[in-house]
Amino acid sequence: MLRTTRLDLDPAWAWQPYRPSAATPWDLRKAGHLLRRAGFGATRAELDEAVAAGPEATIERLLQGGPGGAEFDELAEQRASHTAQTNADEPMRAWWLYLMLHSPHPLREKMTLFWHNHFATSQAKVNNVDYMLQQNALFRRQALGDFRVLLQEVSKDPAMLVWLDTVESKKGRPNENYARELMELFSLGIGHYTEHDIREAARAFTGWELRRDRFHFNTREHDRSVKQVFGRSGPFTGEEVVRLCLEQQAAPLFLVRKLCRCFISETHEFSDELVQPLATELRQLGYDVGRIVARMLRSNLFFAPLAYRARIKSPTTYVLGILRGLEANVGTVGVAQLCENLGQKLFYPPSVKGWDGGAAWLNSTTLLLRQNAALALTSTEDVRFGRRCDPDVLAQKHQVPDDDQAQVAFFLNLFLQDDVPTETRQALLDYARTSRTLTYPVYWTEKDRAAHRLRTLCYLVLTQPEMQLE
Amino acid sequence: MFDRRSFLKSTLAGTGLVAAGLAAPRFLTRTAAAAPRLGARGAKDTLLVVVQLTGGNDGLGTVIPFKDPLYIRYRPTLKQPVDRILKLSDEIGLHPALTGLAALHDKQQLCVVQGVGYPNPSQSHFRSMDIWQAGSTADHLAEGWLGKAMNRLRSGPGGFHLAMANESAPLAFAGAPAKVPSLTSLADFQLRTLAGSGADRQAQRQIIENAAQPGAPSPLLDFVKQTAVNTYASARRLQEIAGNYEPKATYPASGLAERLKLAAQLIAAELDARIFYVSIDGFDTHANQAASHANLLSEVGDAVRAFYEDMAAQGHGERVLVMTFSEFGRRARENGSKGTDHGSAAPMFLVGSKVKAGLVGAHPSLEKLEDGNLAHHTDFRQVYAAILEHWLGVRPTDVLDGRFTPAEVLQA
Repeated sequence: MLRTTRLDLDPAWAWQPYRPSAATPWDLRKAGHLLRRAGFGATRAELDEAVAAGPEATIERLLQGGPGGAEFDELAEQRASHTAQTNADEPMRAWWLYLMLHSPHPLREKMTLFWHNHFATSQAKVNNVDYMLQQNALFRRQALGDFRVLLQEVSKDPAMLVWLDTVESKKGRPNENYARELMELFSLGIGHYTEHDIREAARAFTGWELRRDRFHFNTREHDRSVKQVFGRSGPFTGEEVVRLCLEQQAAPLFLVRKLCRCFISETHEFSDELVQPLATELRQLGYDVGRIVARMLRSNLFFAPLAYRARIKSPTTYVLGILRGLEANVGTVGVAQLCENLGQKLFYPPSVKGWDGGAAWLNSTTLLLRQNAALALTSTEDVRFGRRCDPDVLAQKHQVPDDDQAQVAFFLNLFLQDDVPTETRQALLDYARTSRTLTYPVYWTEKDRAAHRLRTLCYLVLTQPEMQLE
Repeated sequence: MFDRRSFLKSTLAGTGLVAAGLAAPRFLTRTAAAAPRLGARGAKDTLLVVVQLTGGNDGLGTVIPFKDPLYIRYRPTLKQPVDRILKLSDEIGLHPALTGLAALHDKQQLCVVQGVGYPNPSQSHFRSMDIWQAGSTADHLAEGWLGKAMNRLRSGPGGFHLAMANESAPLAFAGAPAKVPSLTSLADFQLRTLAGSGADRQAQRQIIENAAQPGAPSPLLDFVKQTAVNTYASARRLQEIAGNYEPKATYPASGLAERLKLAAQLIAAELDARIFYVSIDGFDTHANQAASHANLLSEVGDAVRAFYEDMAAQGHGERVLVMTFSEFGRRARENGSKGTDHGSAAPMFLVGSKVKAGLVGAHPSLEKLEDGNLAHHTDFRQVYAAILEHWLGVRPTDVLDGRFTPAEVLQA
């Protein structure tokens, strides 16, 4: 049985910065771990740079983003406005995946995805690419920013106003949808509010409308009367209700726990004692999410064995990890299709609580589909990817010698940082050896066979169970 | 909420099957029929198909007390014209879109259980759905009622979740002896390789399948490996079966109908599975619900009708019981957005030749509302108890969190 284990660690130790030592050296595995969690996996060069630079410099770079950020953002924005005009949603998914794949600031994209999952707004109902992109830009702007600002802005965000029916909420006829999810899913969690709080708070959001695609406060439709929320009463506005939520003790704990699940482990339950120091800090430092994420990435807990490969990769992380490792230069429409097929259609979270994540990503169907996706990305036979994503090309680029040992080692090291049992390594070596003697179609040249062997070895490495773990 | 939820999902994902050292999932091998546990009707090889209406189906707009003046008053824009309502009695009728269910009613194959709910109802989608899927109102819900029931089925311990593309396995199956597979289609379900020859293919499959050996030190890696073992074994077997299925009824072109047809294929393949689970999403109709709700209801009614008629024509009519539920009903009064907010009590449907046909229980009073919601008079666990005891042959107290008198929903 897969169980979650309750973590009762010394909080002081857990959140202290990790310092490499003889017992816990900074190495390729830790670099791989960091680049998976704070981004979408690494290229050979990125792994080597991180190992050489050490944890502190690597984390700093992840937090700040690499060079070329401004130019990249400008280009991304141009493409976004073009996409918004077409109002087609597959290009929108492809656009975002392009950013995730190529951004010099992958942590920012990872956090943008985190907020997309947190505020889980679906184009299925919003049905407006421009609104969805505006919301996506908000998540990116505040990715590592002030959660108070984010929560206020998201409450007035056009996509959200439509998604949770705020636009339908009028004086005397309040719609409870937004007030409920604000408390249950966005800030507090179930058990930290009452049904009464929701019904009262709902009245505070009346009169919040869209006019000419922008938030508009219609005073005539706003219920100005006294509301009772969390035991306090006053003629609260929507902004005040959002502020009241964030003043609740439960709010910083709720957010820190969710960040722990994202960055540390999804198989552990984090005790209040463990989460409290960061929750206190979050609140005292004005809900600065970037600082908390930085604390987490630098911490002993982050680099502890219990956090290592302690998450199941989401389809996006899984697919992008392969593409980044292969240094692929593919069109991302096909990537969007792969991710959707594996259960993550970006901009279409399945419900208001986002994707369940964790073990829910994998079942007998999706695991099989993941293996088949790995095949599509390595075989060069899928027209969407072809030779623009090719283990043979990669091996040549990195001058991998035509030698069984070297070839197996190259892919195991790149994708899994050698995290496989000895038997697996041996089986791969055996395959590499015997594949030189297998009978192939007569029209295959020597070069075809060599390329086939490399692609197959890469595919077989990607099918290893360890590959599913982030 | 999130942590608890993920905890549930994690627990759900665990499987005792591979730990028990079985090479192939147990559901894949048809065992000799064992004696039914309670000697109850059909307890030997009866099948249960659960249809989940996700989002909170508007019960008052589904089974309608059309003579009640309060209905007209509560539903100024959403009320259905009396002449279009499909009458089940002098006072109660089905939404006009439910022609599929009305046809089953005409054949005495539809049971409408009215006023179903539970005490202190939660109006959170997730909490309430967990309660329904667990068959319990306990604070921490880690196991599902069907998963628990599977542990106690003497024959046919397995089941299938016929999933939508983005849908995760339901809590209802958590705690089953073997992880219940989620399938979206049969065609998807095979392991491909890039092979230069048959021997090459064989060698590659060997490596992939050999890596799926359970017993890893980390629970998460072990979970992946167990999932992989199940995956490869199931994939092989499923390719061999069900390809030749010919439906004997016309399924409408809808997602739910597709999923039910897949269930029919698996049933026809004589797998040792007795519980099938499908869901249809979209019932969270807070605004402008008239058209969307009608579409959803007709999708449900037409798909269930086609499925049941197919099953009957294939000779499984007496073995199959279909049950629908939703996590809650909706507020009695429509809101200002021509929609309805979260409510509580609602009807359930049971379909099959062995159901007690017609209406069971009174329609909840529109006068005596609780917090603006319809009050329940039948606990959903009473319906579960009837199904467990009289259909699956499982003692209800082994599954449910208390003693519940079985509702009178199946023929004596």
